[in-house]
Amino acid sequence: MKDTVIHATNTIAIRHEMRNIARNLLEIQAVDLILGWKKGILPNKSAPAFIHRPDQVDDLIFDEFCYHNLTKFLLGCPDRQDRIADNEDRLKTAIFVKGCDSRSLIGLIQDNQITRENVYIIGIDCPGLKEEHNTTILAKKCETCYTATPVEYDILIDSPDKRPENPNGLKGFQAHRDLAKIENMPPAERGAYWQQMFQSCIRCYACRNVCPVCSCKECCFDQTLPNWVGKGNNTSDNGFYHLVRAMHVAGRCVSCGECERSCPMHLPVMLLNSKLGLSIEELFDEPPASMNFDVTATLNHFKPEDPEEFM
Amino acid sequence: MSMIYDMNLNPQKISKIPKMNPHESHTGASPANPLIPKRGIITKITTETPDVKTFSITGADGTKPFTPQPGQLGMLSLPPYGEAMFSVTAQNDTHIDMAIKAVGSLTNALHAVEEGQECGIRGPYGNGFPLDFCHGKDLIFIAGGIGHAPVRSLIRHCVEHRTDYGKLTVVYGARSYADLVFKDDLFDNWPKVDNMDIHVTIDRPEDGWQGHVGFVPSYPEELALPPSVSIVCGPPIMIKFALQALTKMGFKPNEVITTMEMRMKCGIGKCGRCNIGSCFVCLDGPVFTQEQLNAMPPEY
Amino acid sequence: MKTIAKTQIDSILKALAVPYNLYIPVAGAFTQTPGREGLENASQFRLYQEGLPLHWTTNTCLSPKDLLFPQTEEMYTIVSHGKTVEIQEKAIGHKPTILFGIRSCDIESIDCMDRVFLEKGFEDTYYKTRRPRTILFALSCTTHEDTCFCTSMGVNPQSSPSADVQISDLGDTFSFTAQTLGGEQALAYVDALLSEIIGTGPSGALKTQTPDTLKTPEELKEIALSNAADSTLSSAADSTLSSSSADSPLSSAADSTLNAAADNAGNKTSAASPLPTDPMIITVNSDGVSEKLENMFEHPLWDEINLPCLGCGACTYVCPTCYCFDINDKTLSHTTINKQRCWDSCMFSDYTRMAGGHNPRPSKKERVRNRFLDKLLYNRQRHGRLFCVGCGRCVAKCPVNLEIATVIQKIQAAEVTPS
Repeated sequence: MKDTVIHATNTIAIRHEMRNIARNLLEIQAVDLILGWKKGILPNKSAPAFIHRPDQVDDLIFDEFCYHNLTKFLLGCPDRQDRIADNEDRLKTAIFVKGCDSRSLIGLIQDNQITRENVYIIGIDCPGLKEEHNTTILAKKCETCYTATPVEYDILIDSPDKRPENPNGLKGFQAHRDLAKIENMPPAERGAYWQQMFQSCIRCYACRNVCPVCSCKECCFDQTLPNWVGKGNNTSDNGFYHLVRAMHVAGRCVSCGECERSCPMHLPVMLLNSKLGLSIEELFDEPPASMNFDVTATLNHFKPEDPEEFM
Repeated sequence: MSMIYDMNLNPQKISKIPKMNPHESHTGASPANPLIPKRGIITKITTETPDVKTFSITGADGTKPFTPQPGQLGMLSLPPYGEAMFSVTAQNDTHIDMAIKAVGSLTNALHAVEEGQECGIRGPYGNGFPLDFCHGKDLIFIAGGIGHAPVRSLIRHCVEHRTDYGKLTVVYGARSYADLVFKDDLFDNWPKVDNMDIHVTIDRPEDGWQGHVGFVPSYPEELALPPSVSIVCGPPIMIKFALQALTKMGFKPNEVITTMEMRMKCGIGKCGRCNIGSCFVCLDGPVFTQEQLNAMPPEY
Repeated sequence: MKTIAKTQIDSILKALAVPYNLYIPVAGAFTQTPGREGLENASQFRLYQEGLPLHWTTNTCLSPKDLLFPQTEEMYTIVSHGKTVEIQEKAIGHKPTILFGIRSCDIESIDCMDRVFLEKGFEDTYYKTRRPRTILFALSCTTHEDTCFCTSMGVNPQSSPSADVQISDLGDTFSFTAQTLGGEQALAYVDALLSEIIGTGPSGALKTQTPDTLKTPEELKEIALSNAADSTLSSAADSTLSSSSADSPLSSAADSTLNAAADNAGNKTSAASPLPTDPMIITVNSDGVSEKLENMFEHPLWDEINLPCLGCGACTYVCPTCYCFDINDKTLSHTTINKQRCWDSCMFSDYTRMAGGHNPRPSKKERVRNRFLDKLLYNRQRHGRLFCVGCGRCVAKCPVNLEIATVIQKIQAAEVTPS
């Protein structure tokens, strides 16, 4: 459903088009909620915006700090008050997506978490975001980008400022800056590296709660019967949490990098995801997750020719 | 529960930091850590209803683990199922009683143990019922289901100190006859007490039941009880309708007393989760008047 | 005034680490975040080891609260065999400790913790064991992060009168002033390493009272508010991509009045102290916020502000005044468990969920409302002060930028009909 493309020459023009589209959708009552971005308390901060009325559309912005992958809010996380798939009577929800965000949207639709008909998708060509504290540097979450142009939309605002591919030709997980470093570490050193990460974790669960593919209604780490992981902060329980979460998102991770961006301790969460994701791409020789509706996540389907050396 | 507070943004630092030589190392356990339970023994288990049992708990030294006021709480733990707060329904020199309904993992595990099982016990916690306020007055006890557990401690206290109180009226109900707790007291002991009326009701008619049928909240009105001090305990929905009925009957908000239930972990007003507004149920409650509740956010 | 060259600071740390457990702010293990080189990263307080560099350019990412109130505290062991249960209490060992280089905001947060753990009926045994044996070395701030707003919350970033020792950053040197007996005893261990600067102020005088010439934090806050009137939320909201670069127009709001005020308001030795060069970017008016919130429990504001919340615990875990905890088990074997006390977060959905399923705060609206009412109203009613010290950690760390500064601004702007 890639219907319409609108051309915008710069960020001001993008913002202008965003507001026009949003205002029109609300005025014709095609949607009753628009998920977008607005300016935060500081110039280098943006925040998710929940637009319900036409008079709110001028809050909408798009800038180099619109990190948030808004698809998570379609789930009304974490307790699903606004879970749109459950509520057929309401109007559609419109959502602004960057390239990576659009992939997670496909993932949620493939996982039957939301239905395509209930969302109106407004794609934006992503220029590549910037680090919050240094606007000359590409945001780390954008280094592992697969697509700057959304892979699914009802309307696309396209822009000449779209982020170019990496000069070295590496794409997505391959482009993770520390992948080679971690692969080349001797096992003991690598073990120590991860131990250090697990030790530094404070278990706030920001990485899980922000993750658009962590869509379980009740996370296994929140269960009390059985109590899979202790609440205490120690390297072993923290490591258990990170490794299990990495396995749960492996093959489904869309490389939006929100987990690492949200980590208050700046832990290299995406390094773990990138390594696993890349291994799955290579092992099963499949395209990255949720690039289109044709292929479901690698570990969600079986093919007779799938490798099975471990059996 | 005053809602008045200091207008100064940053008033004087508190002077509670104990004065001691900071250069002295501290090692070893502190004598009275309120968060550490004592070892207790479940000496007797009485089946009250299909899902309620009363546990008599004795301290390791053969005496009761602590001496609660009526309405106060105790934290009972059974490894490895964790701890939970229960009201103490009765006590004597050798034990305290807790009537516990099986609703979660700990309570179901408790229902499966045998007499002689050891446990952890700490307390007492909470404010308890306002005995001075009740002194000399007619008291109406209104309870539903397991809500009988917290009021029973007060009823027993009043029966034991019968001359200190006026007329005692108990209105109690449950879903069915089988779900009525403390039947001995209801049908044998308390009816014999001087100037004490017992009114028991069940929700639906059943074979062999000669008594009243109907829900608890509307029963006091049918009985045309005159306004006096009332103590209301039960599930939230029962409390809600009972308070409405009492208000309609002219009971004063400061004379309607009830108990609140929230999830608790510490019991000493530190862990943060049992707050209703700025009140902690474990410390400032569980007993509140309707007047106090009206001033608190309706978040319970 | 006693001073030491910054280059020599390690000699002080080394000397203090002998009689005390010395905790210093250090940079985090993973410091590769681009654009954050040299900034706080995942910095936190760690036990001093020789050669561990002191991270003093900005405040730490994690507050020092875990040194008085650890994220995980082993309380006791329960061993059960058949019907028997044995409870073994864990010893609380606590050597005299120095927290070196705490900022004014975090010193204030320790006052909040004191009120929670040492007041209101029960004293917390663990906190009461650590707190009197902990000596606080406060470090004045010479700069601030974009997210700081302590002056709006009545905190003076230059001076912490309740600290045991005040360290002031004088550019090339640090000065040390003992403010309590404990601080004086600690400084005695390093006296030989410090040089005396003659004639720049009273030296070694114990804190008795605040001299009249000093401005109170409230006065300082007023000055900061009036100076920074330009740099409000609206100006930030209007700024576009181009204006958000390093040379933000907001910095032009710098005014010498604040510097002068802070000069006066600083501690006794701060006359020579370098000071923040510009007012804090975020300013909020916290006056009357509690009184206003009394009538806002049912206000539609809560329907709006809870929407982006993800229900993670980042804000509560980085907050220096959040004190909620859980008591739970660490299973060691089928007969043995350790009971541990762990930080908990009121933002988690199971926080208030009771056995049987009833939850008094069932959705994120109630939880978000409870958190902000707790910071700005309930603790004021219960403990006599706001439980926000303006450290800005939640501003920096909330993944969706739902932080307390914005919320205070929205509360102040909200229309309320008094009940």
